[in-house]
Amino acid sequence: MGALLMIFRSRTGQSRIFKGVLSGLLLTVFLPILPSLALAQEQQEIVCIQCHSGLEEKYSQPVKLWRSSIHAVNGIACNACHGGDPKDMANAMNPARGFLGVPGEKDIPAFCGRCHVGVTKDYLSSAHGLALGKGGPTCVTCHGSHLVRKVSLELISEKYCTQCHNFERAKLIKDAMLETELLIVAIDGRIEGFKNQGTDTGKLEQSLFAVRNRFHTLFHDVDVEKVKKESTQINGELKKIDNVLQGLDDARRKRKIAGACAVAGALLAGLLFHLLRKTYA
Amino acid sequence: MKPLKYLYDWIDVRIGARDIVEKELTGYLLPRNINVWYSMGSILLVIFSLQVLTGILLLIHFVPDADKAFTSVSNITNNVPFGWLIHTCHAVGSNMMVLVLLLHMLSVLFMGSYKRPRELNWLTGFTLFTLVQGICLTGYLLPWSQLSFWATTVATNSVNAIPVVGSFLVEFLRGGKLVGPATLGRFFALHVAVIPVAIAALVGAHLFLLQRTGVSTPPFGIKDSSNPWKGDTYRYEEHPGGIPFFPNYMLDDLRSISIYLACFLGVVFFAPHVFFPATAFLPANPYLTPAHIKPEWYFLANYQTLKIFPSEIIGLAIQGAAMTFLALLPFIDRGAEKHPLKRPVFMVCAIGGLLLWIGLTIWGHYS
Repeated sequence: MGALLMIFRSRTGQSRIFKGVLSGLLLTVFLPILPSLALAQEQQEIVCIQCHSGLEEKYSQPVKLWRSSIHAVNGIACNACHGGDPKDMANAMNPARGFLGVPGEKDIPAFCGRCHVGVTKDYLSSAHGLALGKGGPTCVTCHGSHLVRKVSLELISEKYCTQCHNFERAKLIKDAMLETELLIVAIDGRIEGFKNQGTDTGKLEQSLFAVRNRFHTLFHDVDVEKVKKESTQINGELKKIDNVLQGLDDARRKRKIAGACAVAGALLAGLLFHLLRKTYA
Repeated sequence: MKPLKYLYDWIDVRIGARDIVEKELTGYLLPRNINVWYSMGSILLVIFSLQVLTGILLLIHFVPDADKAFTSVSNITNNVPFGWLIHTCHAVGSNMMVLVLLLHMLSVLFMGSYKRPRELNWLTGFTLFTLVQGICLTGYLLPWSQLSFWATTVATNSVNAIPVVGSFLVEFLRGGKLVGPATLGRFFALHVAVIPVAIAALVGAHLFLLQRTGVSTPPFGIKDSSNPWKGDTYRYEEHPGGIPFFPNYMLDDLRSISIYLACFLGVVFFAPHVFFPATAFLPANPYLTPAHIKPEWYFLANYQTLKIFPSEIIGLAIQGAAMTFLALLPFIDRGAEKHPLKRPVFMVCAIGGLLLWIGLTIWGHYS
């Protein structure tokens, strides 16, 4: 085989033909096997994680926390916030490559606000934002720094709020928003379910995104009456999305009824052919 | 009925239609002990026809362009009238085709129908099995979803394990270093033109060989009344006193086809996503590898076998040897006995192999 190859390799044109023929033959024999070689492919981790994971607790802890964060779920890695070059170990923390490092307390809202523009505006105009630099909370006080939590009503809790003040007023706001939050979570789950089965949910997702954003602006508000009024309006918007989903459910129900008729028709045809066959015994 | 009779007579005096019907339908006799497993071939013909029909309908709206393929499939399933039904029938049908093909091959194996003089029937059937897997693999990429993209990336990458021509083959299959628009173009051409034509030609050859050798007698039930092949000269296996293909066995075929269609439609309407994970409905993203990439169910045993061995080339060699053995089985198993219970070595190997395949498939699914 090796000698044969050498002979064919000596003539470039023939070598290509030989390779083509041999490839075709091998492909025929191995075709049923090849796709099964779906061996899990590990994605190469960025240099920040490679290096920090091996460092002492103080420096490796952020990596551990980040892995469970909403940022990690959405593929937002270290360099998205801290800058730098995630592919070059030597220059990963080079300011010339955009490395920003750790922001000071007053700079945190602007740091996060590079992506979360609208929310930063809401925060800065809220009681929390107005107290920035005067002992008031920053983004990370409630949302965490590396273990960034997904925004939900769970964040308005005794655990987080009592870091600075009592929970009484926050509880009133949370109760007013609870129904809307549950509706959003339920609708989100239903949209996800349809999406996972091939339904084009783009418009529904956009609508829910807009409604959810509007709802989230209330998270930084401390005016109980305003929160109640806005929540009622948002529920109305959510009801419209829910009606569209209901329409999709109805369409699926009709398809299943049609399917049951089709299956029954096929079985009936089978029975008729069977009985007809008996007459030819 | 008179116009029909007139039409039949009109055709008959011109092309001898009655002779053809007498020879190929009413006078075409089959063994009296023929069983339901002999209908698998007819079911496969129906499946293949449905795949061609639904495939042509999908072609009307599908755009084989990496930028538009996913959107066009999404448009078919969401906006085109009955597009969801056509697409689901095509996607579920491909899996059913492999399943019924496996059942057909198993019945041929256990009833010894692959034995001489039917070596060529077996070889064409085995090649058809390979081509069906090929058409499923190439069709997998066309929706340009996360599942398609990454399954194809891994599958084509694995070709590297083949000695000498591995890297050449990878580029040949992909049309470049990576899976991309060129790969989609190649797979599209293979899926809609090259492989269907090859399958149609081989189905024709398979049926021609069946027509020339005659239907094999099942090794069960009443005593064989056929004139068995002796190996000295060509002889068509006749079945004197057998049952006519039309209308008797055609009704049996139609009953089996109806039952198949009931099962098929049951999956299409009530469990259409049983073969497809959520990643099948997300657009391809070359920068985001899904957490678990697994091949289709019929490749899971091969996938698990390769994971067991420390080297890909050893796993490939073992499976290549197994496939070659199976392809050449009629030339290896040359005994005349067809009854499975009178072939203990065959039974042990076949049932052991089948259990091993099922075990590896389950293992592959949960690993």
